[in-house]
Parts: sequence; structure tokens; C-alpha cells
Amino acid sequence: MAGPAPSPHKPRRKPKKSGIGSDKPARSEPLVRAPAFPLAAFLWPARTSSSQWEVLPVILMVVGLFRWAAGLWGYSGFQKPPMFGDYEAQRHWMEVTTHLPISQWYFHDLQWWGLDYPPLTAYHSWLMGKIGAFIDPAWFTLFASRGSDDPNLKIFMRATVIVSEYLIYVPAATVFVRRYGRLQGVANWTSSVALVAILMQPATILIDHVHFQYNTVMLGFVLASMSSMIAERYKWAAVFFVGALGFKQMALYYAFSVFSYLLGRCITPRINLTRLFGIALVTIIAFAVLMLPIILGTLYDASQGIDSRPEFDGPPQPLPLFPGLTEYLDTESYYYPVVEQMIQMIHRIFPFARGLFEDKVANFWCAANVIVKLHHFPAALLQKAALGATLLAIIPPNIILFLRPRKTALPYAFAATAWGFFLFSYQVHEKSVLLPLMPMTLLLAGKQGLSKDIRAWVGFANLLGAWTMFPLLRRVDLKVPYMVLTLLWAYLLGLPPTSFSAYFQEGQAAWAQWGTAFLHWSFFAFMGAWHVVDEFVVPPVDKPDLWVVANVGVGAAGFIICYLWCLVRLVQESDFFGKGQSNKAKSQ
Amino acid sequence: MAESYPSLTQCALVAAAFKVLLFPSYKSTDFEVHRNWLAITQSLPLKDWYFEKTSEWTLDYPPFFAYFEWVLAHVARLIDPLMVRVYNLDYDSWQTIYFQRSSVIITELVLVFALQCFIDSTPLASKRAAQVAALSVILSPGLLIIDHIHFQYNGFMYGILVLSLVLARGKTTLLSSGLIFATLLCFKHIYLYLAPAYFVFLLRAYCLSAKSIFRIRFLNCIKLGLGIGGIFGAAFGPFAAMEQIPQLLTRLFPFSRGLCHAYWAPNVWALYSFADRVLIHLAPRLGLAVNQGALQSVTRGLVGDTAFAVLPEISPRMCFALTLFFQVLPLIKLFSVPTWENFIGAVTLCGYASFLFGWHVHEKAILLVIIPFSLIALRDRRHLGAFRPLAVAGYVSLFPLLFTPAEFPIKTAYTILWLVVFLMAFDRLAPASNKPRFFLLDRFSTLYIAVSVPLILYCSLLHQIFFGKAYEFIPLMFTSSYSAIGVVGSWVGYMVVYFTA
Repeated sequence: MAGPAPSPHKPRRKPKKSGIGSDKPARSEPLVRAPAFPLAAFLWPARTSSSQWEVLPVILMVVGLFRWAAGLWGYSGFQKPPMFGDYEAQRHWMEVTTHLPISQWYFHDLQWWGLDYPPLTAYHSWLMGKIGAFIDPAWFTLFASRGSDDPNLKIFMRATVIVSEYLIYVPAATVFVRRYGRLQGVANWTSSVALVAILMQPATILIDHVHFQYNTVMLGFVLASMSSMIAERYKWAAVFFVGALGFKQMALYYAFSVFSYLLGRCITPRINLTRLFGIALVTIIAFAVLMLPIILGTLYDASQGIDSRPEFDGPPQPLPLFPGLTEYLDTESYYYPVVEQMIQMIHRIFPFARGLFEDKVANFWCAANVIVKLHHFPAALLQKAALGATLLAIIPPNIILFLRPRKTALPYAFAATAWGFFLFSYQVHEKSVLLPLMPMTLLLAGKQGLSKDIRAWVGFANLLGAWTMFPLLRRVDLKVPYMVLTLLWAYLLGLPPTSFSAYFQEGQAAWAQWGTAFLHWSFFAFMGAWHVVDEFVVPPVDKPDLWVVANVGVGAAGFIICYLWCLVRLVQESDFFGKGQSNKAKSQ
Repeated sequence: MAESYPSLTQCALVAAAFKVLLFPSYKSTDFEVHRNWLAITQSLPLKDWYFEKTSEWTLDYPPFFAYFEWVLAHVARLIDPLMVRVYNLDYDSWQTIYFQRSSVIITELVLVFALQCFIDSTPLASKRAAQVAALSVILSPGLLIIDHIHFQYNGFMYGILVLSLVLARGKTTLLSSGLIFATLLCFKHIYLYLAPAYFVFLLRAYCLSAKSIFRIRFLNCIKLGLGIGGIFGAAFGPFAAMEQIPQLLTRLFPFSRGLCHAYWAPNVWALYSFADRVLIHLAPRLGLAVNQGALQSVTRGLVGDTAFAVLPEISPRMCFALTLFFQVLPLIKLFSVPTWENFIGAVTLCGYASFLFGWHVHEKAILLVIIPFSLIALRDRRHLGAFRPLAVAGYVSLFPLLFTPAEFPIKTAYTILWLVVFLMAFDRLAPASNKPRFFLLDRFSTLYIAVSVPLILYCSLLHQIFFGKAYEFIPLMFTSSYSAIGVVGSWVGYMVVYFTA
């Protein structure tokens, strides 16, 4: 007979041996008699299956189908000359990396989507470009392929996003959810529910699979790093995090937390210098390996007489960032091209010369700009202000994480730090909201993760995050996938606007219940009203951006609340003020 | 017994979200067909509906469907007036796509409702099985591929059919069951294939006394006759008054088409033409005469009028006779034991017979078998054993409908997902039968399912790599021959189950 073998597996035991102390009955099962929200209902029949391997393939197929179907919609910059959009940038990098010598990658025609991501993205583009050229070389011919809107190319590009995600983000998320759940005695079935919720996160699907980018690769490396931290494989954590940084510099949002946690782990409970040096060494080696192809390639190209800037004749061009450096270096020496390459790469990756914020992004500065016109202030002052505010926002969570490096606190600290960066730092893009959302959404996998309270907060942050990206999505006619994916996720998790069941958590003080409900519902009501107004009312002639500004202002306010919530929860989770909940300590 | 999860509504909702995401996917000419019908019914007077031929996609469904399009067109006009212009051929603005695609999703609610009635009407002991069966229908890859990508209104039509089948369960609702089926016939005449089962069942269970077949219940006969007459009058009356019935019939029954449809529906004739192709190569050795004229058309494999090179030609009359013969067999049993289970079985077997032996059968018609069968597939493991290869074969045979690369992952992943989830769930839920099982049939179905994996792989991927664009008919031929074996096998298996139950 086809079908599953008649279950040779052990029956499900509630708390796993690891993690929580056995004397404490694990209240890890918030769902007992009937599913509390639709997603639990969908996985309801799987409760009796003792093996996650029966459920996991189904989950991966379902989330994959939603991703692919969402990808049928348009991408950013589709048939929008002259510059097209993110899709063209990614495609162009495949074109550049497969056709040019490695030393020219960071120099080639910078006006047309010049490469400005770290080397791992470049290597990834190279690999994808090679595979793509095997199918149809016309997709990536140098110059001629710019702005290509070949429908088959679109399918290929969509496939690369899915494959990259399924190779990195999805396994990392699966492993993280298991480890984090097991750490806190969460049942397998509950973890599966959390996994679906995490993988169906609307903002990630909309940006990567619809609007087009490869954020999940970077996020996947960060997840792998976090999951190695939980498994106490600190060197691997460092390696994965270098991978994340090497893929997208945006991973710096998490860098402080990674640093604080790893350092904290080397100091508490006792100072462990071997571990510290081990991590440092591995990090340096990982960076070196990451840079090696570029360095060797540059040396090789130089030896072959290939110039990184063939369009310029005569003496070497001045270096960016450090123009004075040429006075101390011999521009004819064998190492000079490498120095030039490194400085150019840093210059490309960190665009210091740009403004405080791009477009309209729901962070503190852009919202404050509505009240005080910030461009009246000198740029240097603004940069300092941004630096100061960011530090002020990220120091508290990281000090806590450093002093009490607890596994259970990881997502809170990562989320709070990333929120701090998103809200207060320099040069933030609206898509960066994915970074704080990722660790915050991971809370669903934790203890009581599917309880009303955490669901409500995680849902609030995610729906608000997706909402602040709506102006971006609307520009490329993606209203329908936005509506479908956000409402679907809200429905699956029993969140407003589809249901109000995620409020009034039992065992909470009445003021906290009402406070949360009132706060969230007023935001949801505003978001709903905003969509109606945005759709049907034309903004006043003298303020054409009024609706977007309203979106940004309210979004920033909501994100500040999310930041504070993560911070407060982090303090609670770390027992910083020694209040009760001493059982948490056992989970270490 | 506790309510089981997920509920039908929950599944329908999530499936609807997925279907909305599929809006920009590939759409076949059927999309233009239905747009054209919107235009015809909206902008022309009734008398011209069945004569209009600006577009090659003339109105060839019965009048109720035309009326349905007429109602839709009133909304369509508000959304995009250009959509309802007859001369505006191949018009597919975003508004048109949104409107037409969402009309499919909304009318599918009829099916959701009918399936909910099915669950509610099932006795408590098998309610859970009924619910899973209902979920398998609403989430069917067949409906997804045909309705929501390829484009048609089958969800709506099968909703009416299921409703009628469910109403046949209650002794008091037999009349409405028959009348709803008559309505369905006036929507889409393909359901005529199932009409013999309805005729026999209503005759025996409603028009004749339960005790003796010689006692006629005249009142019931009159009610049924008047009802059906009224429905057909409402549908065809206006056209009869305009003396257009002959024109209408030529539109509804285009007998000039060939034996096999463009693709090969996985029926007996697919196996027959496969045998013919094999015999072309063997003919010289066996000393058989080869019809040279037919060779060219056979190698194409895609033609309307398939001519056979070695085997004798098939005439519509022979198809008709074979279909009728294999329909009558189960009807005899239905007449003697007119239970609901036998009725659904007979409907399924009528669907089988017409699909397997019919003239110019389209592969989409496999739903005619799968959907009624789903309602009884969980009765016991013997039924399930016959259902399993049908589900695999039926859905795999729909793959050639979608040939664009973007839809490839959707059709395959969705179908595999459906097969994995539902065949596993069915396996757990189907009770053991009190009759011995057929060892051979079980082995056959396991082997059969296993073969599908390399087959799909070859047809969708390997063939292109090895041969490029050449021999395009080979994957189609393999798919349809493979599926035909499954459908025929499951038909034989189910015949045995039906007659021994």
C-alpha cells in the first residue's frame, strides 16, 4: 500500500529533555481543545503525527506555492525606463560579474546600477549569471541586455530568489524554530505552526518575491548565526554572521547584538579567553576567505595588465574616501590595485555622501521632518545627531544582552537593536524594516509564542511594517498581492482586521489588556482608514505627498512602540530587576 | 464527535487568496471565449445570440449559461465598458482580468455551499471522512488548473451538480434534486452524459413505488414532468418561439469535430491511437496494410480529425453505442437497488463510460468522474483503491493544458501537494471493507503512482533537454497513454467494486 508506514514513531512527549527543568510543568501548549486561530486549524490534523518530517514537506510546498504565485505579479521597474528598478540592478550585476574581470566589478559604469553590495552578493550574482547564461545568454549580454523584460528571464530570476531562499533562509528558519522551541519546551506541533507563520510573513514575500531582492539570503545567514548561538556553536555563529555581512551590509543592524552576545558568552559565567580568541580568529579567517577571490583576482588581473578602470588612461585616478593616501603609497607597486579595490569597495558599500534618509521612510528622522524641516540643518550636525540617537537606542538592549547573554533573550535583543537602527540611523530605506521584523517574528517560535499577547504584538509589527511599504509597492501596481498576502497572514494568525481574538490575554492585568487592545486597534483603524482615503481621495494640490507623509508618521510612531515593547520584554526576559520569573534562569 | 479542522470555509478562504494571486497567470482562449459571450449577451438582442459569429468563439453553451453571462455582463459593463464590445476581440485589460477571474472565484461559492450540504447530510459516523472528501474537492488541482488558470466556470457548474447529488440523498428532496439537475443541463450540456443515471434513479426512486415497479406514482410523475418542462421551457422557450432551435442545436452539438480532441484525453481512444502508432512500425513485419494518407496526420498527433493508419476507423455511432452499453450495465443494478450510494456509483460510472468511449472528449471532462467519485471514495478501502489511480491519472492528464514555464511549478507542486495530503488523509480515514480486497489492484495502483514521477520528469524537463522542440507529440502521447491506463484501470477496478458491493 502507498501512504505512510503505520507510524513506528514514539508518541509525542510534551517537554523535551533539553531545556526547561523537568520539575516545572511546561505550559507550552496554548492550544488544547480547539484551534485558537485559523493557522492552528490548518495544522490541526497534524497534531497526532509524531514526526515533523511528515508535516515539513507539506509546509514547504505550501509556502513555496504562495511565493511562486506571488511572483507572477510584476517586479520593481518593469518596463519603466530609464533606470528600471531593483530587478534590473540584480540582473545587471549578473551581467557585470559574468562578463568582466573581477577587478572591474566595483568600477564598471557606476551610473547604471553600479555594484554596491559586498562581495558575497557579487559571487552569488556571478553564479546565477553563469547558470542563466547557460539557459539563454541573451539575458545577460553586456550592455545589450539592460532593462530586459523577457518573460522567461523573469521566471529565471524569480526561480533564483526561491532557490536561494530554500537553500539558506528556509533551512535556517526551520532549524532555528526547532532549536528555539526545544530550548523552551515547545511541542513539535506548535513549532510547526510557528514555522508556517514565520515563512508566510507578508513583508518578506512582498519584497523578495514580488518587488524583487535577495534579502532572505542575508536574513537566512543571520538566522543561521542565531541558531548556532542557541546551539552554543559560537565560531559557526561568527562565520554565518560574516556571511550575512558579506551578502548585504544591512546586516550591520544586527552586528552590535552579535558582538554583545558573543562577547558576553566569553565573559559570563566565567571568563573564557580561548573562546574569545577562537571566535576572533574564525571571524578574521572568514573575512579573509570572503575577500580572497577579489584580492587574488585583482592581483591576477593586474599581472595580466587588466586595469580596473579601462576607460581612464594616464595616471591612476584619485582614491575615493582617502584621496591623500596616494602620497604615502607607491601607485606602481604590486599591492596598490588591491588597496584601490578595497577602498573602492568600501566606498561603494557605504555611501556616506547621501542624505539622512531616502524617499519617505517610516523612521524617526523622516517623521520628524514633517514637524521640523531637517534640511535646514547642516549635514554634519545631522549625521552626528543620527549617530548619537542610534547609539542611545541600541546601547540599552546590547548592554543587557552583554551582561545577561541568554538564549531566550536573543530575538528580543536583535529586534530592539534593529529597530534602533531602523528608526534613528542614517540612510534608511523602507525595505530595511524587514530587518527588525525578522527577529521579532521569531518570537512566535518561543515559549508562549502563539499566545494571544505575542501574536498580537508580532502581528502588529508585521502588518504595520507591510503597510509602511505600501507606497513603495503601489508604485509598481502591487496593491493586489499586498492586500492578499497581508490579509491572508492576518487571517491565519487571527489578527485584526480579520479577527479580534488575539486580544485580552488571560493572566494579564486588566490595564495591560485594555492598553494593548486600544493601542493596536487605533493603529489598525488608522491603517484601514488610510487605505480608504488613499484609494478614493485625491490629496490637496499643494501637498501631493500628504498621504505618504501620514503613512510615514504613523508608521514611525508604531515602530517606536515596537522598539519599546521589545526593550521592555528584553528587560523582563533577562530578569534585570530581579523580579520573579526566576524559572527563566533554568532555561539557560 | 468534535468538529474537525480545518473547516471547509477556512480552506475555501485560503484557497481563494491563492487564486487571487494567480490572476496574472496564463489564460487560455477560453478567457476570450467567455469575454466574447459577455459581449454578445450584453450588446446584442436575444435573437442574435446564437447567430453571432464575429469572433470564432461563438456561443455554444445552452441558454441558462447565456443568461448567466448576461447577468455578469451588467456588472462587467460598469467595470470596463470596452470588455462588452463584440468587435473588441482578444481584449484583456487588467479590469477585464480582475472581473472575469473574480467572477470565477465568487461563483465557486456554490460549490462550497453544496459541499457544506454534503458534509451536513452525512451521518455522524462518517462525517469526518465526508469533510475530508469535501476539502479534496474544493482544493482539487483540477478546478485550480481548469478554472483559475486555464479559465472556465467549472466550480460553479460542479457546485450545482454536487448540490443535486446531495439532495438526492433525502427522500423528500428527490424532486428538487432532479429539477436542479435539469437546470444544470440548461447551463452546460456536457452533463447529459450523467443524465441516464438520473433518469433511472428518479424513475425508480421517485416515479415508481418502492414496493413494486408496476405501481406508478402518477402525482410524482406529473410534478417532475411539469418541473422539468418548466425549466427547459424557461431556457429554450424564447428560442423556440423564435424558431431558432435547429440553429441552437448545431451550435451545441458540433459533430463535425474529430474523435480525439487537440490533446489526447486519456481515454480508450488514446490507447487505441497509441496502439495504432506502434502498429505503424510493426505493420511491415506483420503484413498489415498501412493507410499512407493517414501517416502524415498521425505523426502530428494533434489534429482534429485523427485518421488511423493500421487500425480501423472509429465512427461517432460506434462511440455512442459503446458509451451507452457501458452506461446501461451499472444502471441495471441501480434500477434494482436504488440507494443513494448506488446512484452516486452509477453517476460515476456513467461519467467513466462517456469519458472513456465518448466522441471528441476533452481531458477536462475527467472532473465528471472524479468529483462524483470523491463523494463515495471514502466508503471503504476498496473504493479508495479504485479512486487512487483515477486521481493521479486524472490530474496528471491535465498538465498539458498548461504549457507555459511560469505555471509549471504551480501545476506540479500543487498537484503533488494535493496527492500527498489527500491520499494520505484518505488512507487513514477509509474504513476497512467487509469484502476481500483485490490484491492485484492494490499492487497496480502503487506501481502506477510510482511511475508518475519519472513520467512527469521526462515530459516536462528531460524531453526538452534531449530533443528540444522536436517530437513535441511524444510527451503528450506518453502523458495521455499513461493517464489512460490509470483511468481504464480504475474504471475496471470500480466496476468490480460496484457490482460486488
